[in-house]
Amino acid sequence: MAKKFTPVMQSAMTHYAQLSDDLNKAESPYLTALRQSAKAQFLEQGFPTRRDEDWGYTKLTDFVQTHFRLQGISHLTQADILPFLPSFGATRIVLVDGWFSESLSDDLSALPKGVTIESFEDLQQVPESAVQLQAHQQDVAQEPFAVMNTMLLNDGVVIQIDKHAVLEMPLFVLHVQTQPNHLSNLRNRITVGEYADVTLVEAYVSLSDDLCALTNVVSEIDIASHARVKQVVLQQQNKQSYYFNNQFVYQAEHSGFNTLYAGLGCVTSRHQNHVYMNGEHIETIQNSACYATGAQTVDSRSYTEHNQEHGFSQQLHKYVLDGEAVGVFNGMIKVARAAQKTDGQMDNKNLLLSDSAQMDTKPQLEIYADDVKCSHGSATGQINKEQIFYLQARGIPRPQAVRMITEAFLLEPVEVVSHGAIREWVAQILSQTLRG
Amino acid sequence: MLLKVENLQAQVEEKQILKGLNLEVKPGEVHAIMGPNGSGKSTFASVLAGREDYEVTAGSVAFNGEDLLEMDPEERARKGLFLAFQYPVEIPGVSNKLFMQTAVNAVREEKGLPPLDMFDFDEYAREKIKLLDMRADLLERSVNVGFSGGEKKRNDIFQMALLEPKLCILDETDSGLDIDALRIVANGVNALRSPERGFIVVTHYQRLLDYIKPDHVHVLYNGRIVKSGGFELVHELEEHGYDDIIQQHQGE
Repeated sequence: MAKKFTPVMQSAMTHYAQLSDDLNKAESPYLTALRQSAKAQFLEQGFPTRRDEDWGYTKLTDFVQTHFRLQGISHLTQADILPFLPSFGATRIVLVDGWFSESLSDDLSALPKGVTIESFEDLQQVPESAVQLQAHQQDVAQEPFAVMNTMLLNDGVVIQIDKHAVLEMPLFVLHVQTQPNHLSNLRNRITVGEYADVTLVEAYVSLSDDLCALTNVVSEIDIASHARVKQVVLQQQNKQSYYFNNQFVYQAEHSGFNTLYAGLGCVTSRHQNHVYMNGEHIETIQNSACYATGAQTVDSRSYTEHNQEHGFSQQLHKYVLDGEAVGVFNGMIKVARAAQKTDGQMDNKNLLLSDSAQMDTKPQLEIYADDVKCSHGSATGQINKEQIFYLQARGIPRPQAVRMITEAFLLEPVEVVSHGAIREWVAQILSQTLRG
Repeated sequence: MLLKVENLQAQVEEKQILKGLNLEVKPGEVHAIMGPNGSGKSTFASVLAGREDYEVTAGSVAFNGEDLLEMDPEERARKGLFLAFQYPVEIPGVSNKLFMQTAVNAVREEKGLPPLDMFDFDEYAREKIKLLDMRADLLERSVNVGFSGGEKKRNDIFQMALLEPKLCILDETDSGLDIDALRIVANGVNALRSPERGFIVVTHYQRLLDYIKPDHVHVLYNGRIVKSGGFELVHELEEHGYDDIIQQHQGE
């Protein structure tokens, strides 16, 4: 039986389908076909509703009220983006409203040896490159917002790290939203060659506090054998905006993927890792540090597939929730029959600072191998009164005591960031956000 | 007078624990408060430090002439009152260094002194660590996390040394300590004794007092001080226990 949608939802779906058609006018038949097939799926499945199990706690009822569209291009100066630039040295890539900005980015023709960075928009002029962009279309098609992303493909970042290339300098990708009701639809493709090593930092920000924008990201990340990818994603958009990010990560044997998500902004945000550990001796670390207050909903989730022997995965997801905020965590570790000697740990810990904040959490294990070491856990609570009193009894005022304990709680997942200056940078942003 | 407690009455969850306690502590004096379990010893220490859930129903406490009971816990600490906890609390992720630097600077602010920066604090803390013969890595570790019972108590004594309080209250600091840890704690206390500083040592046992040798010993029973004396009272209690006292005051 076909799904039934409310008139509001139906109207939003029609709007985005029309947007997809508008994109098809100028370019390659290949992309048009890709978009059209995604559009057919999107129109059939529509947006998730609260009856969809994975969307029970992350409501889209407000989201579908606004019809986000592609607005014109806005021109920013270096001064505009200065407040968002990091304190550490990095190769900078800037996207404004989802479009690659040549003038604000570093000169991509002068990158260190072994790195190629192109914008998706440039790539799609070349049909054979475009083909690579749908390498994992089957997995992508499982997620409603990823399907919408495919339907609306227009720009993003394509990064290629050659084998054996070790990048000393991190890559910093800044996404700035500047226009109300704008939709940034980003499709990123990152391929990392054998024995390569790269650190990637992504920051999602809003130029002002009052514009409501939508960011919908899909990243496909392929990590070849013995390669290492370290990633930090900082989501710091204003509290009106929406953020959906699906990362599909494919790891080959002996590779490492280490990611931290800091979820701070947006009225509704959802960050999803889909990690496929497709070789032996793979290491995967996925942490998140989320803070929400007011009417925010912050959703972070992970899907981790152990498909071969001797895999190691570790996760620590921490939430601090204040006001009426809702936190959502969902984690699944799936251990295939062949994945003996798997070591998989997943932990979710949450601190509620108010009586009306809410946490919904569901850590899951699905194990088909018989010789594995896996664990998952979740704990939600308020600050221990005795801890506050201990600090007060040493002369520290109560509000400062609460802040110290909360900061220490939220910063634990950040320890996973090995690059000292990046770790400091994220820690400082988290601390500042907690201080309000 | 450093501390003047008059007719102090307090309750916890509507249960009356302190029923008219009187005590005076002058600078330089060491007072021990002993008594059987449930007599109100820890409640007294908690009320002095300002712990929530303890409701004072009558009486007064003057600390250096000021109304202690009107002050928040942090204000009491800033004005020089220190409680060494019976169960020092673990605070994951907060380093001892950050914790104590913040605390020391809060107390310095109260005294009108400029804050110590990281380097000055480090130097100051290392002196104290040396004085108390403690391990230097103490500062880098998270507050009490992964500490043994003895280490936690020593950490409290270290904090006491750093904050240089006027009145130190030790709430059963000796409970659960082996003899070596006990000696280290006692030595720490003795090192901090001075003519300006007062101590209230709350304990169930005499062994800590053998090291500290208090000037005054009080027996707390059923929420009141029922007997006071000098150090010799410790040994009297050791010999005869609390039974005589309990019998004398039963039904009051």
